[in-house]
Amino acid sequence: MLRIKGGRIYDPERNINGQVEDICIQDGKIVASVDEDAPTLDATGLIVFPGGVDVHTHVAGGAINFARAMSPEDHRRAQAFIRTQTTRGGIGGYAPTTFATGYLYAGMGWTTVNEAAVPVLSARHTHEELHDIPVLDKSLLVLMANNEILLDLLDTGEHERAKDVVAWYLWAAKAYGVKAVNPGGVAAWKWGHDAKQLSTPIDGYQRVTPGDIITHLARIVDELHLPHPMHLHCNNLGAPGNVATTLETMERLEGHRAHLAHLQYHAYGGDDWDSMRSAAAQVAEYFNASPHLTTDAGVVLFGDTVTITADGPWQHLLYKLTGRKWGNLDVENETGCGIVPYTYKRTNLVNAVQWAVGLELLLLIDDPWRVFLTTDHPNGACFWRYPEILHLLMCRDFRRECWNTFPDRIKQRIVLPELDREYTLLEIATIISAGPAKALGLNTKGGLAPGKDADLVLYSPNQDVAQMFSHPRYVIKAGQIVVEEGEIRSTPAGREIIFQPGFSPDVESYLRERFEDCYTMSFENYPVEMERVENPLIQSADPSGQS
Amino acid sequence: MGGKVTCTLGEVKNRADFIVYWGGNPAECHPRHFTKYTIMQKSRFLPRGRKDRTMVLVDIRETKSVKAADIFLQVRPGKDFELITVLRAMIKDQPVDDSAIAEIGLQRSDLEDLVARMKRAKFGVMFFGMGLSMTRGKHMNSAALLTLAAEMNAFTKFVAMPMRGHGNVTGADVVMRWQTGYPFGVSYHRGYPRYNPGEFSTVDVLVRGDTDCVFVLGADPGATMPQPAIEHLKRVPTIVLDPHVTHTSRLANVHITTAPAGIAAAGTAYRMDEIALPLRPAIDSPYPSDFEVVRRIHEAIRQKPDWRVRSPWIERQLDAAH
Ligand SMILES: [Zn+2]
Repeated sequence: MLRIKGGRIYDPERNINGQVEDICIQDGKIVASVDEDAPTLDATGLIVFPGGVDVHTHVAGGAINFARAMSPEDHRRAQAFIRTQTTRGGIGGYAPTTFATGYLYAGMGWTTVNEAAVPVLSARHTHEELHDIPVLDKSLLVLMANNEILLDLLDTGEHERAKDVVAWYLWAAKAYGVKAVNPGGVAAWKWGHDAKQLSTPIDGYQRVTPGDIITHLARIVDELHLPHPMHLHCNNLGAPGNVATTLETMERLEGHRAHLAHLQYHAYGGDDWDSMRSAAAQVAEYFNASPHLTTDAGVVLFGDTVTITADGPWQHLLYKLTGRKWGNLDVENETGCGIVPYTYKRTNLVNAVQWAVGLELLLLIDDPWRVFLTTDHPNGACFWRYPEILHLLMCRDFRRECWNTFPDRIKQRIVLPELDREYTLLEIATIISAGPAKALGLNTKGGLAPGKDADLVLYSPNQDVAQMFSHPRYVIKAGQIVVEEGEIRSTPAGREIIFQPGFSPDVESYLRERFEDCYTMSFENYPVEMERVENPLIQSADPSGQS
Repeated sequence: MGGKVTCTLGEVKNRADFIVYWGGNPAECHPRHFTKYTIMQKSRFLPRGRKDRTMVLVDIRETKSVKAADIFLQVRPGKDFELITVLRAMIKDQPVDDSAIAEIGLQRSDLEDLVARMKRAKFGVMFFGMGLSMTRGKHMNSAALLTLAAEMNAFTKFVAMPMRGHGNVTGADVVMRWQTGYPFGVSYHRGYPRYNPGEFSTVDVLVRGDTDCVFVLGADPGATMPQPAIEHLKRVPTIVLDPHVTHTSRLANVHITTAPAGIAAAGTAYRMDEIALPLRPAIDSPYPSDFEVVRRIHEAIRQKPDWRVRSPWIERQLDAAH
């Protein structure tokens, strides 16, 4: 039991904008009242937010673990986490170790994360890593848009069976939702090719095109009543002029819910690397008029990082462009994965445009309930740099200081200098917590009303916005104080949120037959056993069709 | 690790029409590799199985694996790095001196044929074993081969994969990486993970005599390590968890017999391509699992006073309480 007294509350869902109210906590939940003699936390003068929710990050599993192996030089200069009585040893940096990931997120006030790209074949491994990320609640999305069994079904138009297959995979992985990465392009990459046109059949298939995959998968996710819509990494990521593909993708999503991941990487004009420019205005205009869509920004910040994505062909191109290390891991029947270390430089035209586009989208998309803060960690920057972005969003002068240092030839290619909008605290609470929680369908997250999970963060007001957001005064997870004045005070285990979809039982015999051809693992060994999942919290669609 | 262009074994099974084994003897060391994953399998893309695949063996001597190969290239001992370097030049049509090829012990025509086949392949894979990674040049050889595979992607699809040793060494590597950032050779002496193979690897720590206690799990260093390391194992308290009597258990102070994983104990093993497989016990064992023993030791250690660093926050709470 705890009463948080006298804090200034920011709760976007109830439109509470800084009013002073007490918050009562019991058994890990926010409640209307607690006993008079409940312990009190004096929050006078403090700002109270619901705990942060990251809608798209890469913190566990084969890909980030591959990146860790490729980054010993970064580990050496990164923040070291020394073991204490409450914490375990670890390494920060751009591919942090699992324990450090939990401490870094919680230390900044984030309490829920969504691991956005997991091959079903490595789901067992991913759950083992998630188990070692303390404090946070976690969910994961499985990669479906290049699954060959599924593509065969779409090729022959067997929609109902395809739907059962998706549901079966989701449950086999003990996952929460469906991710689509470069639909068809990663399948083509298995032969060294890509899929750049939405209406051209994919390499090796008769009919099915990337566009078909997008609409079918979005429909399947809707029909399965998944709480989170299809989470889409569009085709042509990172390419100059890809705005055309992005607009066409949004058109094809008409009538379906969808979440567009890291939109920054999909909003470029121009014809080649020399003529690349921002197309954020075009993308934002279309997006603003498409209420069925949500997105996350995928902001880029200058500095060193490592890029990891299931988009194998893109990573091969990035390797050729940079000449740096290249990791690639194709996963049988399902997907691919590529890893390339990268440095974003403010003197580089392409990087400067990317930096601007991420911020432009956040400023041009008018509904904070539909655009969320991410860096596509670690692709655009590491998640622990989020406070820098909040500073940029809340302070036009600081933005000007940054873009003013760009050469003129770059300033002509971006719209950021024209944007005067400054985010309010309530809008910030929306894009880092309430909005992503709603888009994920995590109804108990992202708010401070009675009935919500008692995940919250208290900041001491500070003119230095980045300082304020990187050093919360308190962080509370499930009612327990986990961070006080920048120090980890306790490290309770988090929960894993799983969705259980319905599927027809005969899909098992169908898949069992195909299994030996497609995989090198026995059918029985493939699904993740429930006892391997840490504190599972299982959701399912209720019969009324609302989840 | 620099970089690595690789895939899971199913990709090889389904697609690889060009398979190279370099510095390994799969016929004897990984006997199920041919039939389960590589040359013998039929697939949707390679319907005729063995007939649709070409297998190349590169080694310094003829082994039993030669019989399975379509092409055998016998490289002079210690010249693997040179051969890889020549191939990296030839795929890019760069000139290569006759003397460089003669030094390797092969004919130019052999190499031209090899390069042409590599480029013609739709999906090439190179498996490399200890004959490459543990001989002269060591990790430089592996790095060069991985680079060759990466560079081949300018022409066609190509991947490479190390043939890992026995036991669950891949699993240990994977877990160490997510917990410490490093695959092995990690020291916690400063309270956070530091990595330096050659300094913190088990063999170096033992040879220097730096430890005052040794805990051995799933390994038999007494059978493979140099004599000074073995002498140190004898000198200090050594505790072994193993289902069997081993070289190490014979010289240990304590041997706790455990149930064999995958036979009588459940668990997880990581395949050489880092895919986690569940281990399901087929029989019961009177002995506890490794996990159970470690859990109980950990439980007992927790009863002792905690010597670890307290956070400044805890210090302040204690001060305030006094
Ligand atoms: Zn991503």
